[in-house]
Amino acid sequence: MLWLCIHLPHLPPAALTRLAAWAYQWSSHVSLGQADAAQVTGTPSSLWLELSASGGLFGSHITLLANIETELTQLRHRFALGLAPTPEGAALLARAAADAQLDTHDALRAWSLAELRARIAPLPLGLLALEADVLQALHGAGLRTIGQVLSLPAAAMARRFEPGASRHLLQLLGEIPDPRPAWQPPPIYRTRVDFDDDLHDSLALLFPLQRLLQEFQGYLRATDRAVQRFTLQLLHRRTPASRLDIGLSQPGRDAVQLTLLVREHLSRLVLTAPISALILEALEFVSPGIVQTDFFGGDAQKLQDLRQTLDRLASRLGPQQMQCLELRADHRPEYAAAIVTAFTTGATRLATAAGIEPHQPPRPCWLLPEPRRIPAPTALLRGPERIEGGWWDGDDVTRDYYMVRGADGERLWVFQDLHDGHWYLQGLWA
Amino acid sequence: MIDRTALLQQLSRVCRSGHADGLLPAAQPTGFDALDTRLPGGGWPLGALTELLSACGIGELQLLLPALRALTRCGRHLAWIAPPYPPYAPALARHGIALKQLWILHPRDARETLWATEQALRCPSFGAVLAWPTQAGDKSLRRLQLAAEAGGNLGVLYRPVAAAQNASPAALRLLLHPADDGLTVQFHKMRGVVLGSAHRVHCALAHGIA
Repeated sequence: MLWLCIHLPHLPPAALTRLAAWAYQWSSHVSLGQADAAQVTGTPSSLWLELSASGGLFGSHITLLANIETELTQLRHRFALGLAPTPEGAALLARAAADAQLDTHDALRAWSLAELRARIAPLPLGLLALEADVLQALHGAGLRTIGQVLSLPAAAMARRFEPGASRHLLQLLGEIPDPRPAWQPPPIYRTRVDFDDDLHDSLALLFPLQRLLQEFQGYLRATDRAVQRFTLQLLHRRTPASRLDIGLSQPGRDAVQLTLLVREHLSRLVLTAPISALILEALEFVSPGIVQTDFFGGDAQKLQDLRQTLDRLASRLGPQQMQCLELRADHRPEYAAAIVTAFTTGATRLATAAGIEPHQPPRPCWLLPEPRRIPAPTALLRGPERIEGGWWDGDDVTRDYYMVRGADGERLWVFQDLHDGHWYLQGLWA
Repeated sequence: MIDRTALLQQLSRVCRSGHADGLLPAAQPTGFDALDTRLPGGGWPLGALTELLSACGIGELQLLLPALRALTRCGRHLAWIAPPYPPYAPALARHGIALKQLWILHPRDARETLWATEQALRCPSFGAVLAWPTQAGDKSLRRLQLAAEAGGNLGVLYRPVAAAQNASPAALRLLLHPADDGLTVQFHKMRGVVLGSAHRVHCALAHGIA
């Protein structure tokens, strides 16, 4: 076993839970707890990550630790790290790191039980997570370091103090097991940040957002998923929340990319009231298989570039303003094509798309949204082409189509409706 | 000794065309021989802005379709920004345009249209960017020209015939007139070429009969 303890004093419980989701990307055994020396208050303020299985996945434990430290620094948390074969050993080293006012980015590391024992021996006994009266009694007996406490005969400890004290020492040294409950990531992702002071400027949101999105990235990596759509809600005290729906052209989980997208959305937002809290909620995930082929198929850099451009466009214009064209198997011209919002998921698009019929007569490039009634034309250039269909869905058509020349030389696609005898303009041969 | 002025001129042309190896700018064949032989690179200029000054519905889009088909076949994407009517999928598919690589954008106003056009032009994955701006000042046209140079793509602005009266930084400006079986293309401006008197070319369009 190899435990990393991340000691985060003064962190609110909700933030600690978010960080647990983030930490899950490094280890499938994450545990929340209390690593303060005085284990009196109940709220957890520390995370433990069991890393013995993770080293191989991430190169080595050294690079793994460096990655974790880098991200914690980016998240701008005040933290102290300790690494040891036992949870209590890791916690003790983390406390030592915090207390000694060392550069907190430098973890105190003990890779083996023997190394742990050697590391903690010279440390002051006040760092032991024992009750205050126990510490006082030990101090009164003239002991000053942890090493001196550990050299006391176990029987003497057990006789003199509560059973909890000697159990703590044995667990610290790895002589008896110390099982830790494994935290489970939630199946849906919804996090909330409450601000102490209301934010009056949407730009002030950027920093808390960056942190939120980086934690979100950790969660996505941890659960091996990518996100297609998520929402941000900016809560106000009196008025209803402002809601931003953010969609991606391709599933993604890169915090930098997500931040850029959110920035675009925020720049368009007109703030109606100060912001008191922020909720991030992920709505649509994509399974890892799809993510992989998308990320690594073809020319990855170009694809990434295109995707980012499309996302930027969609963020500024609004996703509804971006469209793709699809063919449909129907003889009626207005049903033979579909204009779909660009970022509908790939599966639905593929399922309904039809092919082009090879023997179909030519069609114009522009098709009016609705046929427009026109007077009977005079110069018919080509036609007629009889189109019938739709008896099956109630929109029954029987039409004769012609190409006609317009007043300014343009070529128009018109038809005579054989039901009512009227003429209609439906397209332009642009 | 090399004439310094000539060298500088050559350098500035090379810089403008984005081509280091010669004087001919990069181009995408138009699919119309009459047109290709007249255009400097043998086709639509790449990394530059082209203006098609035209009425709507006379074949102005068909003039581009052979080039667009070739670009999508190479895996490049297309962006159509603020088209005047909804593009019709069966017609485009018939012309061999890969619909999955076509993105239709509907900005809400003139400013957004110019912004979106610039963004699309800057992305090299877009082989061609077609835009129908309702207004385009000299400054914004310059921005678009620079963006096209950065993206190396075919940038096409569809503008009304009346816009020919105003100067433009576009590399190529063509006036399109309807003709019996296609279009008459009138060269209005071609960068690096002094236009002579015979500057009209006829392009026959099949009007969908591929």
